[in-house]
Amino acid sequence: MSPEPLCTKIPACSLCGEPAVIHQRHAGHFLCGTHLIADLEHRVSETVASRQQIVPGDCVAVALSGGKDSTALLFLLHRLFKSHSDIRLVAVTVDEGIDGYREATVRSAEDLVRRLGVTHITVSFGELFGDSLDTILKGRKTQACSICGILRKKALVVGAERAGATKLATGHNLDDEAQSVLMNVLRGDLVRLVRNSGADSGGRFIPRIKPLMYVQEKEIATYLMVQGIWEDLPECPYAIHALRREVRSMLSGIEYRHPGTMLRLMENKKILETGFSGKTGEEPVGYCRECGNPCSGETCQICQIRHSLLR
Amino acid sequence: MTLSIKKPPRKVVLRRMNLILPDRSIRVIDPAPATVEAILQKEGINPLEVMVVRDGLLIPEDTLVSGDDEIRIIRISHGG
Repeated sequence: MSPEPLCTKIPACSLCGEPAVIHQRHAGHFLCGTHLIADLEHRVSETVASRQQIVPGDCVAVALSGGKDSTALLFLLHRLFKSHSDIRLVAVTVDEGIDGYREATVRSAEDLVRRLGVTHITVSFGELFGDSLDTILKGRKTQACSICGILRKKALVVGAERAGATKLATGHNLDDEAQSVLMNVLRGDLVRLVRNSGADSGGRFIPRIKPLMYVQEKEIATYLMVQGIWEDLPECPYAIHALRREVRSMLSGIEYRHPGTMLRLMENKKILETGFSGKTGEEPVGYCRECGNPCSGETCQICQIRHSLLR
Repeated sequence: MTLSIKKPPRKVVLRRMNLILPDRSIRVIDPAPATVEAILQKEGINPLEVMVVRDGLLIPEDTLVSGDDEIRIIRISHGG
């Protein structure tokens, strides 16, 4: 005798009635794979258009680590702009030299660019700074994310310059952005809290854009799964030292119990940006007295790290 | 004389639900109907930090699962 069937109902897509793959709590509806793809691509397209992130004539350097966010970013931008002959995409990968972690993501990045037919530039910490991140961090692992963040930014700019890029796109998602807002509050860093990272720098920097800034991390992962390009990759071994990890877990719990919290944090950050623009006493952008690169203050962060490593 | 016909003993079918955790370890859990969300909560997992696959199909956490289902939890690692 076979057991009686039990009810195992999948919620239906709010738009077409097909089995859903995700519950978008912040929007209050369920979406099937097809409608998740359409929804995400529409929202990213809206972000790009409304903030004029990409315009005709742009060469966009896409920061591609090979992890989920950057994979989704390149895949999505390629789908949105492949028919635009006046917009060019170039992938830039930074190999920091993290043993047992970066090899898999770099391989994933190479597979993706090959599949999409996108030009690929790789920049390594060894080439730029003389050592791998693993070597640089010996004895200072608790500072891993702040040191790596500064060096990565520089490496990405070098890659973007080599590509002749007019924009530098990164895969920061809504979770990342909301976490940054909260971290700046926790650190009491008012300057960063109200700074508009998309503001015009008067040609000193390649403008940075974040097309995924209003897309949740879970939506990105589900999008990759539905598109058949999800890879279960390891997390950076240095992430355990980061304040971000704690903030991430806390904010994710709040977002689950109070959907829309992350979006509201972003809306409030925008209000602060407008209200406090030019009132925080932030030093104007000048040039580093040692290396000549644009920076605020007398010495750039890269030169400061160089000094601290020599101590 | 009345004949009493003995009913054959009812065959008991044991159901088991396999829960495959992000570290790939397998846990056999109560097969009674429950939402994936309730199962995740029991395991101390935030549904926003994982994706759930049942018998190879991606499902939202509100899905009711039971019986012989195989539930795989995939952690969404940060970064990238």
